[in-house]
Amino acid sequence: MTAGVRPEGSRAEEAARVGAAVSEVVGRLFSTVTAVRAAALQPSAREGLRAGRPVLDGDVRNLLREPGQLAVGLGLVIAPQPERGLPLRLEWWQVDPDGGSLRTLEPDLKPTSLGYYDYPATEWFDVPRRTGRRHVVGPYVDVHGTGRYLLTLTEPVLVDGQFVGVAGADVSVRRFETHLLAGLGRLPAPFLLVNDEDRVVLSTAPRWLVGSRVPPGGGPAGPGAAVPGVPWRLHVVDDASPLRA
Amino acid sequence: MQLLSGDARRAVFAPLDDGALRSEAVVRRMGSAIALGLLGDGEQLPAETDLATMLNVSTMTLREALAELRKLGLVETRRGRGGGSFVRSQDDVLADLADARLAQLGTTDLRELGDVHGAVAAAAARLAATRASSNEIARLRDIVERLARATSVTDQRRAEGRYFIELAACAQSVRLTMQEMDLHLELGQLPWPPAHVPELLGVIVAGHGAVVDAIEDRDAPRARALTEEHIETRTVWSIELLLQRMGDGGSASQREVS
Repeated sequence: MTAGVRPEGSRAEEAARVGAAVSEVVGRLFSTVTAVRAAALQPSAREGLRAGRPVLDGDVRNLLREPGQLAVGLGLVIAPQPERGLPLRLEWWQVDPDGGSLRTLEPDLKPTSLGYYDYPATEWFDVPRRTGRRHVVGPYVDVHGTGRYLLTLTEPVLVDGQFVGVAGADVSVRRFETHLLAGLGRLPAPFLLVNDEDRVVLSTAPRWLVGSRVPPGGGPAGPGAAVPGVPWRLHVVDDASPLRA
Repeated sequence: MQLLSGDARRAVFAPLDDGALRSEAVVRRMGSAIALGLLGDGEQLPAETDLATMLNVSTMTLREALAELRKLGLVETRRGRGGGSFVRSQDDVLADLADARLAQLGTTDLRELGDVHGAVAAAAARLAATRASSNEIARLRDIVERLARATSVTDQRRAEGRYFIELAACAQSVRLTMQEMDLHLELGQLPWPPAHVPELLGVIVAGHGAVVDAIEDRDAPRARALTEEHIETRTVWSIELLLQRMGDGGSASQREVS
């Protein structure tokens, strides 16, 4: 059977199956983010926030070691408060892509540097700050930060109603893709997962590359299926391939 | 002590692999890192042995390089508790260093550098036109505006470097982004044309602005062509500068045959 002649009913079922798998993965990543946020709200952590001292207990990094953990990085990114003398600061750990050991991320936070990691301007920091809600961004190149190709999930952290920073987790686009596709087993009809910026997050239709944009009107027909828990849409597409005789 | 990390650290402290004149290569690399603000004024350098390991040079070579940087006044070493080597950013010294570097190169070296930069940046611009989100385009525009407002040479160099690196990130490519970072450490070793002719900054700003317009119009061929054209212009400028210097004869004695 070729992809082009699948009956519509099975397409909807497959879209639902893929959508459920995506929701599950995103949900799992957000539960890690929530755990980081909870750690940032411990009494000792709140004291650290007030005084500009280390906030998170070092054990938080061990979340990266939990079985089934998809995140490659996590931590707390603190809102600078220049009026109180509290500078840009983050407490972030990541899994070293080569060795698997855990490392602290120490980006360049000098505003006068070519390599300045201007995180207050990033979407993953700015959107939760403005909206007060959790946010998923990516795929994107985390330029000047980890330097990796990522999806980043963040939640605002509020102390006494005041925004003090974001808790977050990174998943590499590669790991996200590998995990989801392996979990789906038999590959369904070619599909595209598209984010709220019309960017392809995941694709099993080689014509649509991850990271490319699906311009409104120029992409697959129809609105696609909503994916619960994340502002993404799923499109099942026809994709004639010369390799699939 | 704060060490650089992420892409910047990778680029600044990437092992040097050109066999010849290693201490000079270390001096150049550190010089461009200072010119681009990657090593900030007053920032402490890693311990000699760590720095030597990062750069893949012997401690001896590193000491030679540090001695030269000290002589130039770009590094200051303090003894005792809280001592170490600290960066001293000095625009006039950096400009002299860039002139000396230019004097070592031939016109084909500059053409080669321009060819590679053109290939990387034009590919990034083409991809960015189809892949960049509207937020990213707004950020690019913001960087171009900052470049237009930048007054010091260091600020201008840095803003332009950020423009090209961001452009590569808009292409959704880690590899192109790393290439741009590496290229800027090399370009940062050369003179900055608007330092000699201030009006050229306007040409640069207009050139990048036109590319951002093309990206916003989702016009990939135009974004690519404009980027190629602009970088060809830049190559011509640096060659002109080189030939002028040779004509002046002032630095002829410093030139070396390699």
